[in-house]
Amino acid sequence: MRAITFFTKLNILLQISSLLLPVTLLTGCWDRKELNDMAIITAAGIDKKTESTIELSVIVYIPKNAGVGEEMGGGNGGQGQQVLVRSAEGISIAEAISMLQQEFPRHLFWGHNEVFVIDEELARDEDLRPTIDFIMRHPQTRERSHIFISKQKVKNIFSLNPPLERDLAEVLRNLAGLKIGVDITLKDLAEMLIGESGTAALPYIDILSPPESQDKKQTIADIIGTAVLKNGKMIGSIDASTTRGLLWLRNEIELAVVTVKPDNTEGYVSMQLLRAYSRLIPKIENGKWKITMQAKTEDDLIQNGTTLNTGNPQTIHRLEQDLKADIDNKVKEALKQVQHEMNADIFGFAEAFHRAYPNVWKKYKQNWDDIFPTVEVTLETTAKIRRPGIVTEPGAYPEQEVKTE
Amino acid sequence: MKEPIQKPGTNPSSLSLQDSLSANLQTNEQFFQSVYHNCADVVYRHFSIAGKMKALLIYIEGMSNIEEMDKSVLSPLMQQTPAELENLHAIMEQSITVSSIKENKTFAEVAEQISTGNPVILVDQYSIAISVGLSKWEKRAIEEPLSESVVRGSREGFTETIAVNTSLLRRRIKSPQLKMISMNIGRQTQTKVIVAYMDGLADTTLVEEAKSRLQRIQIDGILESGYIEEFIEDHPYSPFPQILNTERPDVAAANLLEGRIVILVDGTPFVIIVPTSLYSLLQASEDYYQRFMIGTLIRWLRYGFLVMALLLPSGYVAVLTYHQEMVPTTLLLSFAKSRELIPFPALVEALIMEITFEALREAGIRLPKQVGSAVSIVGALVIGQAAVSAGLVSAPMVMVVAITGIASFTIPRYNAAIAIRMLRFPIMLLAGTLGLLGIMLGLIAIIVHLSTVRSFGLPYLSPMGPMRASEMKDVMFRAPWWALRKRPRLTGDYNQNRQPPGQKPDPSKGTE
Amino acid sequence: MIEKGKISAFQLALMMNPTIFATALLLVPAITAKHAEQDLWLSPIWAAISGLLTVYISCKLNKFYPEKSLIQYSEQILGKIAGKILGLIFLLYFLHLNGIIVREYGEFVVGTFLNTTPMNVVMGSMLLVCALAVYGGIEAIGRSSQIIVPVVSLLFLVMTLLLVKDLDPKKLLPVMENGIMPSFMGSIVPSAWFSEFILMAFVLPLLKDSGKAMKWGVLSVLSVMFLLVITNLSTYMLLGKLTIKDTYPVMVAVRYISIADFLEHLEAIVMAIWVSGTFIKISMFYYSTVLGMAQWLSLSDYRPIVLPIGFLILVLGHWAAPNLQSLAHFLGTSGAFYMLTLQLGIPVVLLCIAWIQQKFQQKKDGGQ
Repeated sequence: MRAITFFTKLNILLQISSLLLPVTLLTGCWDRKELNDMAIITAAGIDKKTESTIELSVIVYIPKNAGVGEEMGGGNGGQGQQVLVRSAEGISIAEAISMLQQEFPRHLFWGHNEVFVIDEELARDEDLRPTIDFIMRHPQTRERSHIFISKQKVKNIFSLNPPLERDLAEVLRNLAGLKIGVDITLKDLAEMLIGESGTAALPYIDILSPPESQDKKQTIADIIGTAVLKNGKMIGSIDASTTRGLLWLRNEIELAVVTVKPDNTEGYVSMQLLRAYSRLIPKIENGKWKITMQAKTEDDLIQNGTTLNTGNPQTIHRLEQDLKADIDNKVKEALKQVQHEMNADIFGFAEAFHRAYPNVWKKYKQNWDDIFPTVEVTLETTAKIRRPGIVTEPGAYPEQEVKTE
Repeated sequence: MKEPIQKPGTNPSSLSLQDSLSANLQTNEQFFQSVYHNCADVVYRHFSIAGKMKALLIYIEGMSNIEEMDKSVLSPLMQQTPAELENLHAIMEQSITVSSIKENKTFAEVAEQISTGNPVILVDQYSIAISVGLSKWEKRAIEEPLSESVVRGSREGFTETIAVNTSLLRRRIKSPQLKMISMNIGRQTQTKVIVAYMDGLADTTLVEEAKSRLQRIQIDGILESGYIEEFIEDHPYSPFPQILNTERPDVAAANLLEGRIVILVDGTPFVIIVPTSLYSLLQASEDYYQRFMIGTLIRWLRYGFLVMALLLPSGYVAVLTYHQEMVPTTLLLSFAKSRELIPFPALVEALIMEITFEALREAGIRLPKQVGSAVSIVGALVIGQAAVSAGLVSAPMVMVVAITGIASFTIPRYNAAIAIRMLRFPIMLLAGTLGLLGIMLGLIAIIVHLSTVRSFGLPYLSPMGPMRASEMKDVMFRAPWWALRKRPRLTGDYNQNRQPPGQKPDPSKGTE
Repeated sequence: MIEKGKISAFQLALMMNPTIFATALLLVPAITAKHAEQDLWLSPIWAAISGLLTVYISCKLNKFYPEKSLIQYSEQILGKIAGKILGLIFLLYFLHLNGIIVREYGEFVVGTFLNTTPMNVVMGSMLLVCALAVYGGIEAIGRSSQIIVPVVSLLFLVMTLLLVKDLDPKKLLPVMENGIMPSFMGSIVPSAWFSEFILMAFVLPLLKDSGKAMKWGVLSVLSVMFLLVITNLSTYMLLGKLTIKDTYPVMVAVRYISIADFLEHLEAIVMAIWVSGTFIKISMFYYSTVLGMAQWLSLSDYRPIVLPIGFLILVLGHWAAPNLQSLAHFLGTSGAFYMLTLQLGIPVVLLCIAWIQQKFQQKKDGGQ
């Protein structure tokens, strides 16, 4: 009985002290950061400023100007910008951040920064790995942030005023999400750089030229291709069309409309990709390193600009051949530029060989740069057109003009 | 008038309540006059039986049925023919046409009878008093229980009269196995308390334990079952109620049938039920009356909102001041937008709003109905509209507080909801100091505390901790009645089977 | 008996699961990947062997000396003085280990969530909650774990499911590139953790149904193994070689979850799993130390020494290591052998001696 009362007494004591503890600590609240005291960064970019310094630019959200619910009412969209761009110079990104902090009366908050843009000049001249290290090490930054290489100075790109989206960060994030080009997150980039070949591909962006009549700033940046990195430095870029070939090799193709020009007829036929899948099959035969890319795609016909009768299975078969040829051409183009000219294995050939021939790989690992350009690539593409839409014959041509073949 | 025969020791002033009645009517009268000194509502009526024997009727005004007394007691006695006057027993047997009648020998017994409302007749030369069961007082009719309303289910509620309450139980459980043990608690109030249980279903040691805990109570008065609750619960310092209270006879009957003990207290419509577990506090009677699927879904909804009622404001504070990266970007930006002009830190804002809300709720309960609604309108306007547009409180915080309020109303038992409402505040403080970590620690502390609590020997978290898989179907789900074959296991040995198996409805069981 | 409460074997299994899994969840992928690379998922399977062995030993010892704990029967096996010394060694070891665990917990919380909060506040608040559980006795810990473990397991599974779309199984190839050795090397540290099942030797006398102890102990080991294999698999399929470079790969993996732009940054889940799992882990060690100490000192009640020992654990946690790196280094190198010696080695010796004594006794009995 005595033990029980003793126990309850101590229990109460413990309970009370556990309740009182936070109260006494209220003065501390070491990590408390009020939202009002934070500058929320939505995008960050690095430019080369001088030979030894870089310039860090950030887009910061301004909650004040975003309007508070109904009081704003409608019709004053022009009232102030929602975001603010500021820059600071430093020898390293860490130093630039501390310089940048001096320009803000609020704590810089990196937890919602999902876009990093790196200027092409910097990427070409300097090793990006220290920068990546900083970004990875920072506890607030997100492993899912998207990384871009920009053709223009980042500062110029950030100063754009996108007409549709909240800010440029959202534009770039959404563009990456659409998978038009390669979509590389911070984690992917780090993984690629420590991978077998030490190469990486990053989306390459430029300012979309606005329509003549409009304000020069009322536009966005868009993805114009892919930047290729090797050993932490940018060594070249490929254009949007070649990027599609790259995506095929990397099995990352998702959203695409392919337009082909069939033989012996006027006009073009467009097809929409429904499903696409590719895989790399490595093979070493008599010391020859070979890769076979098997690709399969299923498409829907979405526009028929010719007089071909798409109700005819033979026509469909011919279109399938054209589609296949189109894919092959793009892949070959990508191989030509990246494999032969840049000698950068961004396709994942090294990993494929490693997986299939772990023992051989160990021996030739060091010589991969010499082997890679000589790898023979065979393409086995199959394209299927599943449905011609809900019309069979060309919609808007008179009956007699339709080729029945 | 003869001088009263003064026997030694019968002087009224030297008598005490424990003594036997005197044979002298005057002594008795004087004694009761002194006991009920300054009691204007006690009536003394002198009369003589058949004009010969002096007699005295004592009763309390308003507590006895006067018409019936005139008709069945006074008129037969006063018109008695002298031949039959030989002894008092004969008079009682032949003349008083009332069903309940009792002989009392001591002053204490007589006083108790008078206080309960039974008129007492004292006859000269006899040292016994006859009490007549004619007590009657104004009582409330059986009404719909206000604190536990249902869409489907009985509309009867207990009343303040214990006899009515026991009859409500007896009407539902007609078995003679329903036992009711009566006792009086309270030195002054002498409140009648009845321990009801099902013989053969309730664990006998549990019944004994309940009885002995009740008998230990020494207090001057019991005005509500809450007094008793505080005396008999296992962990008086726990914020969680360890005893279920209800004003629904069907809930009480259901608990009796599960082998629990119901304690009825005179003067309150709330009966208390022991033992109870956390989960029975989260179940409403209607779960069992509606079909089982909706019963199950409603239970899950309740569990979800229980967590919200406890954690939503603290979660909001923690995320907004410690873990901003966890909110989706767009949502965070709109939070930032709405918080931009608010002068208070999020924690203070939350505390202000929650305390105001609690005050509003309290005011709404205490005030008369007409004023109550006015208060809630004013409160809603003040909190909802004015505070937001004045820039004192952010709109999301108003939403959080409102949802928390709604969530705490989904808990069917008022006393369980109180525990959650109280614990919300320390957890908010923890969230304000250590963020989500603080919330987790608070939550774990609550779970540990709940694991140590027992209600009359039943672990509070049962059947989840300690786990009894077969009973989980009445906690995680509301299994259909034909599947609820066994009673929940409480303490000690128990009568497992509620009903025979294999009663699932099935077309093949038809007789045609 | 000092502890009057009784628990079931099932509760014991539920208590032991987070005792191993909680800390392993965050640290094991990085540690095993360092040696085993893409074979890291094999390591927990090898490591589980030591867990099974420990369960077997503690059950066997319990069969020889039912109703006695490790501290009590080591006295019986080795004799009064040697037994007391061994008991003290065990108690000091558990104190030290618990200090390390508390420190690991503190390092994680301070390193990832509350960067500027003093470590002692983080560790102290957790120890306070654990002290509450230890006061409540074994029943309270058992029941709390019955509430916590199912929720935590559910959260873990949800977390894994949300990651599925980002996983790339190809990263696991080639299997056993360098033979079985790397995965074996990677299993040394986890097997040290698995040997923490020796805590059962303190709790087994408190079982209601000690007949089922072996079965549930084995199931508990297997469940931990299963969860660790899943953790390792999903982490490596997501992060690949980066697994080696991250301090808390699982944390990074969960931060990577993004479903429909809304369900993202679910660190809260890891936090919930980690904090509640570590709570059970620390409470188990704390409880065993307190109970063992009370038995060693022949006290009639263990409750008066709960708070003093809690304070000792806090201090030891503070002193455990100067920083995270040396803590991780210790755990990854000598720590494993330190733990294996005390948690597996000495119990094996005890069992052998007990077994020989038993045989001897029987022979003597038979001879008479």
